[in-house]
Parts: sequence; structure tokens; C-alpha cells
Amino acid sequence: MRLLCSLFAARAGGLSLALALACMTLAAGVALFGVSGWFLTGAALAASAMTFDLFAPSAMVRGFSFLRIASRYGERLSGHATTFKILSDIRVRIFSRLIPLVPFKAAAHRTGDFVARLTADVETLDMVFLQMVAPIATAILGAVGLGIFLVLVMPDALPVVLIGFGLTALALPALIVVAGRHSGAETVRTAADLRIAVLDGIDGHADLVALGAVGEARQTVDAAAAEVRRARLRQAWRIACGPGFVVLGSGATLIGTLWVGLQVLAEGRVSGPVMVGVLLAVTAIFEVAGPILRGAGRLGAASAAARRVQSLVDMQPAIRDTARPVAMPASGTISFENVGYSYGRDHVVLSGLDLDIRDGEHIAIIGESGTGKSTLLGLLLRLYEVDAGAIRIGGVDIRDVRQADLHAHIALLTQEAPVFIGTIRDNLQIADPAADDEALYAVLAKARLDGFVRGLPQGLGTWLGESGETLSAGQARRLCLARTLLSPAKVLLLDEPTAGLDRPTEAAFLADLLAVTTGRTLVLATHAALPDGAVDQVYRLEAGALSPVG
Amino acid sequence: MNTVDSTPGSAPARSSSHEIRWLKQRGRVGRHAIGIAILVPLLSACLTVAQAYWLATILHRAIVDQVATKTQIPALLGLAGLVAVRAALAWIGESAGIRAAEDIKLAIRRDLFAALMRRGPDWMRQRASGELASQILDQVEALDGYFARFVPAMIAAGVVPIAFAVGLMPVDLVVGIVLLVTAPLIPVFMALAGWGAEAASRQHLTALSRLSGMFADRLRGLLVLKLFGRAEDEVVRVRNASDEFAQRTLAVLRIAFLSSAVLEFFAALGVAGVALYVGLTYLDMLNLRGSSELGLQAGLFCLLMAPEVYMPLRTLAAHYHDRANAKAAVASIEAAFGGLPAVEPAEAPRGAGWTANGAVAVSARHLTIDTPERDTILSDATLEIAAAETVALLGPSGIGKSTLIEVLARLRGHQGEIRIGGTGLAAIEEEALRRHVAVLGQRPRLFHGTIASNIRLGRPAATDAEVRRAAERACVLDFADRLPEGLATPIGERGRGLSGGEGQRVALARIFLRDPALVLLDEPTAHLDTETEARVIRSILAFAEGRTLLIATHSMAVAAQMDTIYEIDDRKRIARRAPGFGLSSAAIPIDGAA
Repeated sequence: MRLLCSLFAARAGGLSLALALACMTLAAGVALFGVSGWFLTGAALAASAMTFDLFAPSAMVRGFSFLRIASRYGERLSGHATTFKILSDIRVRIFSRLIPLVPFKAAAHRTGDFVARLTADVETLDMVFLQMVAPIATAILGAVGLGIFLVLVMPDALPVVLIGFGLTALALPALIVVAGRHSGAETVRTAADLRIAVLDGIDGHADLVALGAVGEARQTVDAAAAEVRRARLRQAWRIACGPGFVVLGSGATLIGTLWVGLQVLAEGRVSGPVMVGVLLAVTAIFEVAGPILRGAGRLGAASAAARRVQSLVDMQPAIRDTARPVAMPASGTISFENVGYSYGRDHVVLSGLDLDIRDGEHIAIIGESGTGKSTLLGLLLRLYEVDAGAIRIGGVDIRDVRQADLHAHIALLTQEAPVFIGTIRDNLQIADPAADDEALYAVLAKARLDGFVRGLPQGLGTWLGESGETLSAGQARRLCLARTLLSPAKVLLLDEPTAGLDRPTEAAFLADLLAVTTGRTLVLATHAALPDGAVDQVYRLEAGALSPVG
Repeated sequence: MNTVDSTPGSAPARSSSHEIRWLKQRGRVGRHAIGIAILVPLLSACLTVAQAYWLATILHRAIVDQVATKTQIPALLGLAGLVAVRAALAWIGESAGIRAAEDIKLAIRRDLFAALMRRGPDWMRQRASGELASQILDQVEALDGYFARFVPAMIAAGVVPIAFAVGLMPVDLVVGIVLLVTAPLIPVFMALAGWGAEAASRQHLTALSRLSGMFADRLRGLLVLKLFGRAEDEVVRVRNASDEFAQRTLAVLRIAFLSSAVLEFFAALGVAGVALYVGLTYLDMLNLRGSSELGLQAGLFCLLMAPEVYMPLRTLAAHYHDRANAKAAVASIEAAFGGLPAVEPAEAPRGAGWTANGAVAVSARHLTIDTPERDTILSDATLEIAAAETVALLGPSGIGKSTLIEVLARLRGHQGEIRIGGTGLAAIEEEALRRHVAVLGQRPRLFHGTIASNIRLGRPAATDAEVRRAAERACVLDFADRLPEGLATPIGERGRGLSGGEGQRVALARIFLRDPALVLLDEPTAHLDTETEARVIRSILAFAEGRTLLIATHSMAVAAQMDTIYEIDDRKRIARRAPGFGLSSAAIPIDGAA
């Protein structure tokens, strides 16, 4: 809830407006019913119109009615508008927080799970202010107002009303929340599981069809959907307690007030019209209890969502910038000095690795897949931290420079580089937002994709769907390669750049490499057979260390 | 009264659109629970009348008759009993509504996913998975309020106000008539406001669906964005998307709130009218009742009942946007799925029974493949593969090798004739086809689970030993045995934690668990180093013994080990190349057109 508090504080102005309007709505409603009851009873008892002031009360009835309509409209609108601003704040904050956290090592952080967090959880949180904070604050303020009024006109009813109202609007909702905490968390979790099952089924549809395993996927989704239903039904009886308690609480308080009222009336300490007015006013204040009790049943889900969002926001990035970063050297030899890295406790990937890459040198690292070529590239970008030794650029330890500077200096083409939803132009300009079409075509030519793009009716403006599914695997790969080449970085790291390319294209591309990367340092991780002279030096990665080839 | 199909005349019963009709059909799944949810508010309304009457009586006796307080105790206890019963009814009604909604949503989700799985891969390829998933999750969730709240509220709003107004007539004819006249006007205004809410609501759901798709996409590529220093810009995009989403939602709500303000205005007019009329009658400034005197009891009863007349309408207004949301959600599902799934799912068409013993021959004549994404891949091509032959398919990247494999596996449409084992491809029963034809795509999907569970997908009944054996043959153990948990290592969505080559070997192991007559492999060694590639190919060739094998590959080393090499030439034909020929040598066309 810390997160929500800080977000609420940032939007205090809008929230107080909504709260003030909510109080006004409640006060107008209470006054309307009180005055009506008092007016009618007074009129019934009055001997004639001469002795009864008709116009003041009837004007009050009308005035309070319309005030209530207007303030309720304003309250709802301003409350929702502010809530949406807060929701937007949450999304932005989560997304910003994720930036230093990638790449995640654990497989538990699944894309589907993230989507669930960012949309469903954040949606769930929208009820926290509207359904809980605002009604409770309104209820407390309303109870104080009604209490003062009762002290003035019928103090005997004060204990009954305050206890009855307090129990209904505050204590019972708290009970429902406590009881619902577990099942709320379960609802959110089962919904996230269902989303993953459905996404697995859709993204893997072709594989499932080919395997004849569509039935298994349907069973998985059916079971996950049934789990969602079960979790929701477990929550349902608590949610249903809300409306029941409103009826019970308001009814009991009404009867209690009536009992007290009848006695003070018999003792002559209060007049009939005032007693009826108080009774109706008390009934009217329970209007605010409905939303609180309805909200209480769902608060379990909301607080589970809030906890998950909070845990995401609280996660500490594994790698941080040093407190006093030094400037990134514009150039200089990259040196791995006795670098060690292990994955978990007993899976040693690299140990005692030494490597010097001079400015502008082109090297290739070959080796069996899984030997740590990608890890080595990641270490140079400080996506992971070395366990032993150090990596220096121009003599400066990469841990002493800002990560953003390091990333600007070195561009990486990862093995699973994605094609984003958007146009071809959008996809390329990620590397350089200022690049014009001419530059884009030039870089596409280097990746041998310009002919294809020029052949498309919409050229660079062609929209690419999810996963870039309208491109073949090879074309998608070359688009990502073009994006990397477009980057102004001094050092290029290419992880299997030719995967998905046929051999002639691969050979031509590798032969071209020298030309398209002239003046830039190049590190190529590949299993492809390299043509002679494509790079200055080839190393083989084996058993965690490098050895020069040839 | 206990089916959702009964639509009372005075409720906002505009001619039901086909979206609402579909919803009503789906609603039959939960009709018993909905019946209870509808019945309960009606019962509760009767008790409300009794409660108001009882209260007015108590007050009248205390203020006008001035009876002793003690004699009122039985009446007070009766009042307490009424309150208790109404509270219980409220609980039952709410529970029943939730149950109905959950039952119906479960049935709809199952049907939608089943309908999705029946779709061809061609159709699926052109859709964003996040958006489709959002239909099954978020849009179906948006139906919740329609069944749990709107339907019961609609019936109550159609019945209760009129019953109350008519019921008040014996007490005071004028009050009854005033309420009867103002109440039916309200739905008219609400319907007017509701139309606007519906249009806005549709936009809102579209925005939600897009937002969800965009988040998934950007999160998937967050590392790339971060490395290019573009992640901060994406934060701005996320804010813009959220703001747009907020703006659209607010547009929906502004209209929904307006409709309830209109309602409250009329309710206020009605209540104020009753109060004024009763007050004036008391003061003898107005007499429409002839000789009969209006007592305090009757007046208070009218005053207490006046807001109750409007209460069901107010409840309906509060839930009106549930209907609009549900309708918009159904429209969104319809748009995304290209039509609404039938209530009774159609049986999948069953083709000819087909069994293959050992290897099968593959032949294609006049084969033309047009893809929506790219141009024509093949035009009037011919392909002949003998039973038990091993064939390599070569060709530059992007020329359509993967597409051809997808066509042969019936994962993509085509024109012309393809026969597998002598039977037309289109006529083969789905289940038999999948049993006898194994295919490995270029980007195989790894499902959330463990390495072992992903391999076992090839044959769910396989024992642990068989899974391990398959993993060994596909060289999965090379990397799996280095992991602390071995084959039990969990892998996440899209196989996070495994490299491309590792993922492909896991998918290959799936195939080794099966017993296909025809094996179609799309670049099974694309990510592998030479040594591993050689071992994987050895395994594949051993497995292909007595089966027909087609491998799309870039690797001449792989192609050279096959009986025959084909390639797709620049005339969009499939041409045979003699083994041992270099890449530069001319292709020998076999399609008879040369």
C-alpha cells in the first residue's frame, strides 16, 4: 500500500475535490430526507396553513434534491478522472522500474505474467480509491456531521446511531476484507495462470496442431478456466455478504433509533416532526455503506494486486551504476582480464578468460552452442556481472561507467531480438530515431534486405504484426541485423547474425562484414563457417576459456 | 419469469441486437442461478412495502394516537424480523447472480478457446496472440456484470415500480398516478443516454485490448529497447497509451453518469411532487380526495415508498453500462474471431480414415502457393518423393521452403493436388494425419513447463525413460545434463532460458517420441555448431529409417547426406539437383516444363 499512498499524495488535489463533492452529496441526501420527514409530519399536525410556513421547507426539499444530483455527477467524474491519472502513473512507474531489471534470469518472469500485472492488476487497483478510500472518508466525515446534528436535536439517539453506523460501514467491511484476503490473492493468481495457458495455446497453435496435441491444450485451458471460476465462487459468498449487511445494519439502526425516539417522544423531550426527521436522516446516511461493503468483498483481490505491483516496484536491480561514474572512453582496447562467471552454484560458464580486442578489430568467437558465447557478449554489456576478474575498455573498468553510456558505446544483436509491432521504419529507428529513409535503405542494403522492402507496396511504412510474423525467419533476422548496424555505436556485438540465412546469403554477408563495419570494432559469436579474411582473428570458446584459431 | 428471455415491456427493451441475442442464448447455461437472482429482488420488494407500512403505522400510533411505548414492542420486533429476512434475501440474490455469471463465463471461455483451436494455422498466423487472449480473458470478464447484475436489475425495474405505484393507489390515488406516470418515462431517457454509452464503451474495450497487446510486445523486447537507450521513450509511449485508455474510459463513464443523473432528476421530481402534494393536502390547501381524510400513517407511507418506487430503476441505471460493456465485448469477440461461435459447437469434419504402414510417398502436381504476407511462393510446381526416400530442400532464405513444409503438413492452404501415401491431403482425417506426419517448424514453440514436459508433448503416454532416450538422440542431454535440475528444468514462455538451438533440439526430441510415416523438418540444425549438427543429423537419419524424410536446410553438409536434393528455383518450381553438385551448378528441372 506504500505505492498507493505515494501515488495518492501526488494527486492530492484531485482526490480532495472528489472527496469534498462526495461529502456534499451525502449531506444533501441526509438533509433532504430529514427535512421531508419533518415537513410532512409538521404539516399533518398543523391545524391550518396559516400557522405553518410551507415555503421554506419545500424550497429546501427542492434545493437539496438538485444539489445532490449535481454534486454526485461531479463527484463521480472527478473521482474517476483522478483515478485514471493514478492508474497511468502506476503503469509508467512499473514500466520504468522494469528497465533496470531486465534481463531477468528466472523463467518465472513470463511475458504473460507481466501483461497480467500491467493490465489486470492495475485495473483491479482502480477500485481502491473509488470503492474504499473515498466512501470510508465520506462515511467518517458524514458520521461526524450527523453526530453534531444529533447532539443538538436528539442526543439520546447518538450512541445507537454511531454504533450501528460504525459497525455497518467500518467494522463489518474490515471483517470481510480480512476474511477475503486469501481468496482474493487466489483469484488474481488463477487469472494469471489462465492467461498464460491461453497464450501458450494461441502462440503455439501451429505446433499443437502439428503434434495433434490440441486436445491437451484445451484440457489445460479448461482446467485453468475452471480454477478461475472456483476461486471467484469462493470469494462470492463474502462479496454477497455486503448487500446483506447493508440491509441488516441500516434496518437495525433504524429500529434502535425508533425505539429511543419513541421513548423521548413519550417523555415530551422531542416533538413528533423532529423525531420523524431524525429517523429519516439516519436512514439516509446508510447510503454510503453500500459502496463500502460492496468494495470490501473485492478488496482482497485489490490488495493482492497491490502487493504484486509493489513487489515488482521494490525489486532491486542486480546491476547498478556506481555512485561516481567516470566518463566512457571514446575508444580503447576492450580487455577481459581473468574473467569468471557461473550460472547458479555449480554451472561454471567462464573461468580465467582473457581477451584483448583492439580498436577497430574484427574478431569471431566460435564454439558449441551453450558454451557461453552469448554470456560473454552479455558480460561486456554488463547485462550480467562478472564473478571474478574485470572487463576494461581503454583501461576503464566497465563497472565504473554509467550503463547508459556503455550501452550507447556497444550495440548488441541478441539471438532472440524481436520485431516490434509497428512499421519497418519504427523498427529500424529504434536504433537511431533521427535516421532518414535514405539512411534506412542504406542499412537495409547492408543486411541484404533492401530489395525486399523496396518491393513492398508500402515500403518502409509496411506494418509488421506480432512477432513480425509476416516476415520469414530469415527476413526478421536481417531486419534486426539492419537495426543493429544502424546504431551509431562504436562496438558491434553480433550473436549468431546469420541464423536463418541460407549459406550463399550467409557467405556473402560474412564476406561483406568487413566493408559494412569498417572503423568499428566487431565481435561475432557464430557457429557458421567463416570465409577467409572475414575477420582479423577467430577464437574458439571451450571449457570456459578462449583459444585463438589459426 | 425465471428465464432471461422474458423481457418486460417497460424495461429498456429496445429491439434486441444480435449481440444481446447471443448473450441470452449463452445465458441458458446459468438459468437456474439467474432465476433465483431475478426472483429474489421481487420478493424483497414485497417485504419493503410491508416494512414501510409497518414503520408508518408505528410512527402514526406514537405521534397521533400517542400510545404507550411498551405496546409498540411487538410491532418493533416484527419490523426486526422483516429486516432480517430482507438481509438474507439480499445475500441469496447476490450469490446467485455471481454464480450464474461464473458458470456462463466458464462455458463461454471453453467454447471460445475450442473455436480458436479449430481455426486453421493460416487464420491464426495473421492475428496478434495478445489480442486474441484478451478476448477470452478480458472481454469475457466484461460479460460478468450483464449476467450477475444487469439481467436481475432489468426484470426488477420492469416489474417493481409499476407494482408499487399500483399498490399505492388504494392508499392515495393521486400519489399512485403521479408515480405511475413519471416512472415509465425514465427508461426512455435512459435508453437515449445508453446508446451513447454503448458506442463509447466499444471504444474503451478496443483500447484495452490494444493496450494489452502493446504491453506484451514492448515487454518482450524490453531488453532491446534498453540496450538502444530507447526504453525511456517507450515509457512516454506507455503513458500516452494509458492516457488514451483513460480518456476513452472516461468518455464511457461521462455518459453513463449522465444517464443516472437524468434518472435522479426524475426521481427527485417524483418524490418532491409526492411530498408537496401530501403536505398541501394536510394543510387543506389542496383536496383531491373528496371526503376521506389523509392520515399521518398514509402520508408517511407514501413518502417512504416514493423513493422505493425509483430504487429498482436507479439500480438498473447503475448497471446499465454492464449491458453496454457486454454488448461491446461481444462485438469485439465477434470482430476478433470473425463471427460468434455457435452455441452448440459443430463437430469437426471427419475425413477419410487413413492409415500408413511404414513410409509413405509424397506427390504434388500443379502446386501453387500464394501467401497473404508475401507473393506467390510456388506456381504450378511438381514434387515426387518416393516412400522411405530422404530429401533435402535447398534454396535461398525467404524463397519459401518453410511455407512449402507448412503446406505439406496441412498447416497452410494451397492450390493444386497433394497426395500423401496416395490419399489426397485434404481428405485425410485430421487425427490420422497428425499421427503419421511429424513436422518441426523453424521457430518451434516451447510451452510453459519443464524440458521433459515439452518433450512429452510428442507422446503424452511416454515413460520417463523414453523421454530421456528421445532427449539423448536429439542432443538435448548435452545441455540439459549441465543444468542442476536436468530435464526437469522449468522453462518459461517462449522458452526463456534456452537458446534457439537448444529449443529446436527439444522440439526435435518431441518428434523422436512419435512414430510418423513422414517427417518434415525445417532447418533442424540452423543454430548448431558443425560437430553437434553432425550428431543431430546422424540421429535424424537413424530415425528416418523406414520413414520418408524431407529436410529444409541451408547446410550443404546436411544436404549431401540425403538421397535427393531439391530446390525452389527462380521460376517458382521445385527442381531436382544431383547429389554432389555444388551450389553454383545449374538446377535440373523435373517438373516437365523444361
